[in-house]
Amino acid sequence: MIIFAFANQKGGVGKTTTAVTLADGLARLKMRTLLVDLDPQGHLALSFGLEKSPGLYRLVCLEEPLDELVQHVRPNLDLLPGDKQTEKVKRQITLSDFRESILSDLLHATDYEVVLLDMAPSLDVLHINGLIAADWVVIPTRMDALAVDGVKEILTTLAEIGRSGHHYRGYSILPTFFDRTTRETFLQFEEITRIFGVNVWPPVPQDTRVRETVAYGQTLWDYSPFSTAIKGFRDGKQRLGGYHQVLGKMLEVING
Amino acid sequence: MADNTKQRRSTLDPAVADLLKGMQQKQNEAQLPRKERERISRERAKIQSRRDMRATYDLPPAIRESIRSLAEELRLPASQLVTLALARFLSDYEIGSIDLGQYKQPSRSPRYDWNLVFPDEITRTGKKRKGG
Repeated sequence: MIIFAFANQKGGVGKTTTAVTLADGLARLKMRTLLVDLDPQGHLALSFGLEKSPGLYRLVCLEEPLDELVQHVRPNLDLLPGDKQTEKVKRQITLSDFRESILSDLLHATDYEVVLLDMAPSLDVLHINGLIAADWVVIPTRMDALAVDGVKEILTTLAEIGRSGHHYRGYSILPTFFDRTTRETFLQFEEITRIFGVNVWPPVPQDTRVRETVAYGQTLWDYSPFSTAIKGFRDGKQRLGGYHQVLGKMLEVING
Repeated sequence: MADNTKQRRSTLDPAVADLLKGMQQKQNEAQLPRKERERISRERAKIQSRRDMRATYDLPPAIRESIRSLAEELRLPASQLVTLALARFLSDYEIGSIDLGQYKQPSRSPRYDWNLVFPDEITRTGKKRKGG
């Protein structure tokens, strides 16, 4: 099993959409995938056209079995939903022994091939739990100064967790809402590629289709499989970026 | 002495590097005078409009050479000669005056059922071309 966390302390950078799209992409490749909502906003369920429900709360606080809590949203794709009761999970974890590894222990007891954690834009005990459970951290970010600062913050947190003995296989920075025509995008992109090199994954283009998918309760693969956000920018005969290429990068990580 | 056969390892994902290069080019163009920018823009539009007309096929070298020398002799673009040749073939094929059966042999490739195996006189046909 490999666990990916989608994290950035900055909100509105595309964490949930990215987690949903990539989880569905992996499931379509016949990988048994679990998507976990660690955000009290509970938006993962809405992304699949479902109601929010306290799945994470019942797993951690009421100790109900995971297989009774997950929702089978697609073939090979299960969702552990969340809602505002996720806030209570934080309190429960704070009061527990071995609190940093509670989520890790629960997830590693399952038989999924891939787990994706959609993290809240915060820095609390549940966020730390998610980062400690993760083998690989994907940091979606817009190409603006505030979001890029969020990347630096999360990397600082990862370094602190690393110093306490947790070993990550790696991390990736995923530029989202990418508009290649603006100077600001270019300057920020140039900066992060200069600093982070191969850790920068091909960006996901800005695409209105992405916003529309949520309104229809579908994933991007269902709603608009040939959209720019999936296929990437056209550049001569090749395509650059897009979730299709990002999925390829995830498979490289999964296959070692 | 430096070993020139060694390649520097790329520090970027290839897609990221290509995208960055394209954006850098656009940024540099933005600094140019208006007339120069318009010229580059016209050239780019011309290249893009021709993109859908591009095709890549493997051809026997003798046929390729024949097309090149005929185009040179007639002083016209080779692409137009090939267009005419292919259009004539498709039209002949449609009315049934070309039979591919005599060249067909089963293929071992998982992608294709058949191969066309040509006699030498076809792949070297250009050499016999009469002047025109």
